[in-house]
Amino acid sequence: MPKPDKPDKHAAASQAVDILEEIAAMLNCHMDRRMLSTCISLIEQGVHPESLVQVIKELREIADETRREQQEAAVANSRR
Amino acid sequence: MAPDRVANALDNLITQIVPSRGPNEGQDSWQARYNLSHELVRAIINSPPDPDILSDVDRAADSIKRKLIQSNPSHALRFSDLYSRLLAVPVLKSKWAILYLLYALADSPDPKAPPPPLSIIQPSSSNYREAVARDAVKKRARARSKSIPLTRIEDDPMGESPIHEELPHKIPPSKEQRRIAEERQQQSELVRRDVSVKSALLSSNYAEIEPSETAILRDLPFTLQGVSSTTLPFTREDILKLPSSLPLPLVSILHTLAEPSLLYRRLDAFCQTPANGLLAQSLRSAISNELRSYLTLVATLEGQIRKALSLLDENAPRGGIGNTGVTLKRCVVWTREATMGLRLLSLIAEESENKKGGQIITLIHNFASSNGDPVVAAFAERLLGSFTRPWYGILRHWIYDGELSDPSLEFFVREQTDNEDTLRIKGNVWEDKYEIAQDMVPSIISQEFAQKIFLIGKSLNFIRHSCGDSLWVEDYSKAASKELRYGDTATVEVWIDEAYKTTMKRLMDLMETKFRLFVHLQALKDYILLGQGDFIALLMESLAANLDRPSGSQYRHTLTAQLEHAIRGSNAQYDSPEVLRRLDARMLQLSHGDIGWDCFTLEYKIDAPVDVVVTEWGNRQYLKVFNFLWRIKRVEFVLLSTWRECMTGSRRVLQSPIPAVVQTWKSTRGVLAEMIHFVGQLQYYILFEVIESSWGELQKRIRKEDCTLDDVIEAHRRYLEDITHKGLLGPKLRHHPSDNKERTTYLDQLSEILRFMLHYRDTIVGLYSWTSAEYTRRQEAELRNITRRDDDGGLTASDNVPSEFPALQERLRQLGTSFRTRLQILLGDLAYQPDVDMRFLGVAMNFNDVYQPARRKSKTAQTTSTAAAAAAGSANAPKP
Repeated sequence: MPKPDKPDKHAAASQAVDILEEIAAMLNCHMDRRMLSTCISLIEQGVHPESLVQVIKELREIADETRREQQEAAVANSRR
Repeated sequence: MAPDRVANALDNLITQIVPSRGPNEGQDSWQARYNLSHELVRAIINSPPDPDILSDVDRAADSIKRKLIQSNPSHALRFSDLYSRLLAVPVLKSKWAILYLLYALADSPDPKAPPPPLSIIQPSSSNYREAVARDAVKKRARARSKSIPLTRIEDDPMGESPIHEELPHKIPPSKEQRRIAEERQQQSELVRRDVSVKSALLSSNYAEIEPSETAILRDLPFTLQGVSSTTLPFTREDILKLPSSLPLPLVSILHTLAEPSLLYRRLDAFCQTPANGLLAQSLRSAISNELRSYLTLVATLEGQIRKALSLLDENAPRGGIGNTGVTLKRCVVWTREATMGLRLLSLIAEESENKKGGQIITLIHNFASSNGDPVVAAFAERLLGSFTRPWYGILRHWIYDGELSDPSLEFFVREQTDNEDTLRIKGNVWEDKYEIAQDMVPSIISQEFAQKIFLIGKSLNFIRHSCGDSLWVEDYSKAASKELRYGDTATVEVWIDEAYKTTMKRLMDLMETKFRLFVHLQALKDYILLGQGDFIALLMESLAANLDRPSGSQYRHTLTAQLEHAIRGSNAQYDSPEVLRRLDARMLQLSHGDIGWDCFTLEYKIDAPVDVVVTEWGNRQYLKVFNFLWRIKRVEFVLLSTWRECMTGSRRVLQSPIPAVVQTWKSTRGVLAEMIHFVGQLQYYILFEVIESSWGELQKRIRKEDCTLDDVIEAHRRYLEDITHKGLLGPKLRHHPSDNKERTTYLDQLSEILRFMLHYRDTIVGLYSWTSAEYTRRQEAELRNITRRDDDGGLTASDNVPSEFPALQERLRQLGTSFRTRLQILLGDLAYQPDVDMRFLGVAMNFNDVYQPARRKSKTAQTTSTAAAAAAGSANAPKP
């Protein structure tokens, strides 16, 4: 891999993230730019993509559940 | 790999995805969640990666592109563009991995979206339990994932990890679990996947058969047309041989397909058979029409099969027949409706074998009107439309031309064929030429309507042939003729009604003006029923001398001459010559010993068209009434002339010095007066009470507005029946059904009474001649006494007196008594007559209760009472 200048590399990286973001939007992945770049960096570190998929899914499920519990708690609070 | 950077990034990821601490959430729960996430992530990351996934950038891109093409083609284009740009970007090392990640996460649920409403569990919701269970399962799965490494499902490209365990404590881990998971997955796939996948699965399980389905399909069109083919030969007329090597399900499909084939063959054969009759022919034509549309269907089917066979892929399992869209099963579905039609047709064809004409119509109409299946009803209805055409042709010909063009006897009107007595048929064209065959009346028209149609045609035929007015019929048929068809029953009925009215009106018009039916009826009443009094009186007077002689010496020319004389001398001369021409006097068939009175008869000749009203039976009735009336008239005439002689004689020759003779004459005159009274009452009753009132009824009936010829005939028949019944000419007494021995007709009783009268009159004549002879002798004796020449003659004469007189006296008394007895029996019968008029006759005859009406029940009582009555009656006999 060549060694480009610092701002050059940054621009290229942001371009790549732009492209990937658009693809993600087309595929309905529901990933925002921050999350996407985190994922990209993880993969660049050598994490296997399938493991990462699994991680994201599990985390989302936990998040889902958490949010639901919070909602229930809120409903319960309001009833009270 | 730099583990700390990875850990950092993962931490980032966790904080990004898992929501931060909620407002009312404790620190520990958040911490616990955070720790859980961490552990989970670490476990996953540390597990060995899947070796199957190839690190190929193109492959990931391809799968993304395919997915996009399916969902949204425009996105696919955009993606190719983006992808090429991505490849140009130098920074990223493992582009495939990122693309793979994106692909795997595609269409994942939006984590920011509000949680599904299912999560707020409604107690009322039906899937409450389900939802709770699902939640529990998820939690358990997560709990397990902490302790054991997560199992993987290899063949799921989506990387989805389905939750596939409901009873974890019962199932040993790992292997068993995995098997169940696979099963469940297959199941869910089965549900999810479309038909093509299913057929692919089926085709992979397919065993080769001989002959192959393609071969059978190729031959199927021939079979459906009833033609033998190599795989499916027809061994006999009605047997289709299936190859024995086929598996059972295919055989059952072929059985279903064989039904239309066999039905077609049978119907085709049925259409070829010669038909007897127009309707049968038309049935065959209608059926072959239906068969033609069936053949069209088969042709379409064949086209489809050919097309499908040409597309066949030899390499695919089962020749790839499942993909072409034409299979044996499809053929079954396509021919289903046609099979039902064929079934119905074959039923009709079979049933119609031994039926004809209207019966076939009834048969099919039953299917059309009373079958609950709308398909069957519509089919039969369609069939009726074309099938009934010849029948309506016949109908049309019949009601507009009055001709029966029905060579094979299919119409419900039939020409009577039994020619055993052609005379009768010739005698009554109206009644006997045509008849309705009840069993041939099709159910599409009602009985009443059939009668109407029958009348129309009969009338037209009658007008044309018997009334000689074919010109009118032709004009009428030209003007009124309409096309009759099945389907619009209401219109047909209206037209028929119209035709009915026109025809009936015309016929009655013809009868009245051209054939003077009413004039003839009037003439019959005047002459045959003795309505023209002066004519009858004159005729009787002029014929009296003649008719006293035996019937052998009656000559026709004298009779006609006297008739002519009577016409000329009475008001009859002003009648129309048309009527007088028909009047004829003649003798009935001669029998020895009869005198002219018994045989003489008047006749009124009725010819062609009118004789349908005044039938032969009517003529006989008229003759009967005439004979009866003529006899009464004659008795009356005789009695009156005797009475006249007695009256004139009593002034001279009947004067007698002997008191016994005077007494005898007195009682004789009494009985005579009774008889005259009786005859007068009888005549009055018959002429006025019976004939005139019946005539009034007849007039009322035949002058009605919508009177048809049938009505006229019926009215005339009733008229004659009334006259004969009330006129005491009825065949039997109505009452006294029990004592049949004594039962005699009124006619017999009356004849007997009339005979007594004639005998009585003869005896009176004898008495008269004896008295006058005695008178003469007395005169001579007186003369001799004056001359005093010889006394012996006077003595001998007075000796002769008692020798003849007592016999006459006895006979007169006897006849008088028996007359009275008979009369009382008759009165007794009349008094218990249900008919008011006849009871009235009894009252009129016995208005001052001179007679004791005798019940016929006890003979002894009757005789005593009559004897008493006879004694009383002689004293105060009613004067006429």
